[in-house]
Amino acid sequence: MNKYLLSKKIVINELSTFYSFLIGLSIGIGIGSIILLTQGQNPIEVFSLMLRLSVGSVKSISTSLNKAIPLILAGLGISIINSVKLWNIGAEGQIFMGGIALNFLYINTEISSPNLMIVYLLITSFIGGAVCILFPAIAKVLFGVNEIITTLLFNYIIIGLTIYLVNGPWKDPGSLNFPAATYVGKEVYLPTVFGRLSYGFIICFLCTIGVHYLKEKSVFGYELRISGGSALTAIYAGINAKQKAFIAMLIGGGLAGLAGGVELLSQTHRVSTGLSQGFGYTAIIVAAITGMRPFGIFLVGSLFGALTIGGSVIQTMGVSSYIADVIQATTLFGALIAQFFFTYKIIKVSEDV
Amino acid sequence: MNQIILEAKNITKSFGNTNALKNVDFYLYESTIHGLLGENGAGKSSLMNILSGIYQPENGSLYIDGEKVKKLNPDIASKLGIGMVHQEFRLIDNFSIKDNLTLSKANIYTNSFHEGYEKYSDIFSLTVNYSTPISELSVGEKQKIEIMKLIFNNNKIMLLDEPTAVLTPQETNQLKISLKKLSKEDGKTIVLITHKLKEIQEFTDYIFVLKDGVMVAKDLETKNVTKNELITLMMGEIKQSEIRKDNQKGTNKLEIENISFENTHSNVPTLENLSLKVRAGEILGIAGVSGNGQVELANIISGIEREYSGKVIVNGKNISNQGVSSRKNLNLSYIPENRLGVGLAPGVSIIDNSAVKDYYKARFGPHLSGNKMLNYLNILIKQFSIKAPNPKAEVSTLSGGNMQKLLMGRELISNPEVIIAAQPTRGLDVNAVEALHDLIVMQRDKGAAVMLISEDLDELFKLSDRIIVMYEGRIVKEFSMDEADIESVGLAMAGLNE
Repeated sequence: MNKYLLSKKIVINELSTFYSFLIGLSIGIGIGSIILLTQGQNPIEVFSLMLRLSVGSVKSISTSLNKAIPLILAGLGISIINSVKLWNIGAEGQIFMGGIALNFLYINTEISSPNLMIVYLLITSFIGGAVCILFPAIAKVLFGVNEIITTLLFNYIIIGLTIYLVNGPWKDPGSLNFPAATYVGKEVYLPTVFGRLSYGFIICFLCTIGVHYLKEKSVFGYELRISGGSALTAIYAGINAKQKAFIAMLIGGGLAGLAGGVELLSQTHRVSTGLSQGFGYTAIIVAAITGMRPFGIFLVGSLFGALTIGGSVIQTMGVSSYIADVIQATTLFGALIAQFFFTYKIIKVSEDV
Repeated sequence: MNQIILEAKNITKSFGNTNALKNVDFYLYESTIHGLLGENGAGKSSLMNILSGIYQPENGSLYIDGEKVKKLNPDIASKLGIGMVHQEFRLIDNFSIKDNLTLSKANIYTNSFHEGYEKYSDIFSLTVNYSTPISELSVGEKQKIEIMKLIFNNNKIMLLDEPTAVLTPQETNQLKISLKKLSKEDGKTIVLITHKLKEIQEFTDYIFVLKDGVMVAKDLETKNVTKNELITLMMGEIKQSEIRKDNQKGTNKLEIENISFENTHSNVPTLENLSLKVRAGEILGIAGVSGNGQVELANIISGIEREYSGKVIVNGKNISNQGVSSRKNLNLSYIPENRLGVGLAPGVSIIDNSAVKDYYKARFGPHLSGNKMLNYLNILIKQFSIKAPNPKAEVSTLSGGNMQKLLMGRELISNPEVIIAAQPTRGLDVNAVEALHDLIVMQRDKGAAVMLISEDLDELFKLSDRIIVMYEGRIVKEFSMDEADIESVGLAMAGLNE
């Protein structure tokens, strides 16, 4: 009788994550096509329209990239927290908290220079996101409470807080009963380049480089890797693993908060329940597909931004925009399976007595 | 003499390149308690796992009641009446005693549970109600339920893997009485795996001894053998030492004074008032069966464990209040027993692992120089002949010997003044062991004070200048090499001081 075992490959191709992504994307597009066919649509037509409307012109590329900003920033946050093998499922709540913190500062301070004000506001949104993950981080390092549960549950708390604020104290009297806070003034809108591409994209790119440096080239990143590999090794090496995990969680939460801040100042211009459209959750997909690599997150986040834009425009053809969600989800699924086969090989062992 | 109920002939089993069992013959008499004695890694558990169908041997055959068994897996073994209690409990904590006992299809007391439970709870002197959930039981009670489970599953041959390891002396005594009743009155055939001599003499009728995968003695009648004979069989003859012992010893490098340590965690031994000194150029061997406080002592010296009383002194300087990093700066190296998990971080690359001790030397402010780390790794690879083709590969892809060379190289390259090495060669092949021994001796000759913690008496006798024996958190005996012999060290390790 033969038995099959999984064995980890000694040398894993460095580009394997990229290949996995391509395989996953093909699977995603394939399954998307099948669904479109069952709906009586021509997939080639639908996809070419999606392509044209999401990346066909400077204008549409800018729109797509704007959509990608919160995905990338939140994804970077998830990536840095994952250096210590922890998962942040709370990016969605942190995005809202970033927006709320920003709006709080905006309402309560007056600074004459708008540019300086923008900087302060964005820093505040970062702090807001960090505060949002503070409790899960404390619970994790002090009591070992599973961070997946606590960060997830905090989403509901923060979204509850948002609903309260936009229906109560911050409600815009001019919003015709639509639950939203008052708009921020035009002077603090993030400027744009190429027509509509937000400066947020530049922030995003700088953060990508920063997170890459922090994770791969810095002492802090090294300490995170060792702590994530084995807490006992960290203690043995004299690394305060809990402290490092705590700091990583705050930075990660802060980046998601910054995503909320940038989104508010460049897109929605006010706090409402529509500040994030599930960015925090899609960011988990983006981060997971890329194996938590910052530049991968930058590229895949951009692509997913385009997919979302493409998905929303094909509604005009009578196709549900959820086709974009289907493609994103099946891409993750396919990429993870492909990554599995890049990482493991199946070996046959004989089991004769 | 009772009838032979199970016979294993010519069993051979290897894992990778290491032979766990070599042409082992083993047989069991009905209604008898057998002791299977051997050091850690002698092959006891492998043999039991083969009998219970978990491992498949490469060679050999098995007969039950004289009939050859063609195919064996845990299911078939259980049907043939072979059951095993593993070292870790396999009970469902949230289920009641009754649910755990009746879980298996093989349960023979389906319709008469109360009758069965009454009978055997009496034999085991178990006073808890069967509706009690397992989570509310003491460790000793859980152990009894584990054994009872075998009875309820109609297993007449019961293999017990170190059943007393977790028990108090009182519980051990009770277990002895229960097992004797089971074999004499209830007709059960029992195998007790242990390395504790006292128990094997008190519990068993016949003794089998495994050493390095070979059955060196079988069918010894317990009442006719002495402890000393068993120790010699179990540990073997000590090979002639090949290491020069004319090393120059200097001043005291490492001193510990009155170290006491108590931990509320279960299974962590308590240390009582330990004091010892190691001089420059000297190797002090710490003998003892693992789990007698050696790991805790090493953790205290290296600074990992901080909650203790007493003094740790390096080079005349009291460092009791210092943490791991500042102790490393004193050029103190610690090679932990658990090489993958403590010494090396699994899932992290070889290059990252190579820098665990000295990564701060590659830092410039917040920056960590990848080139410096790579240079350092290449030096290690060259100097310690490590086979590590890809620095970015996970460290767990290395062979055990190369892993240990990486770990020891990393800890020794700076020529530390004090070295704590715990089980540095456990589980490695002969060539790797030789290479690592040479490394330790080289450090000794460079003037390091070495504390070598080991269970392997061959290794201790070969390398040490002095041997201290630890038992249950205390230093029970100290030997100079002239007066040390395998018997007296072995007896001290077993807690039997004449």
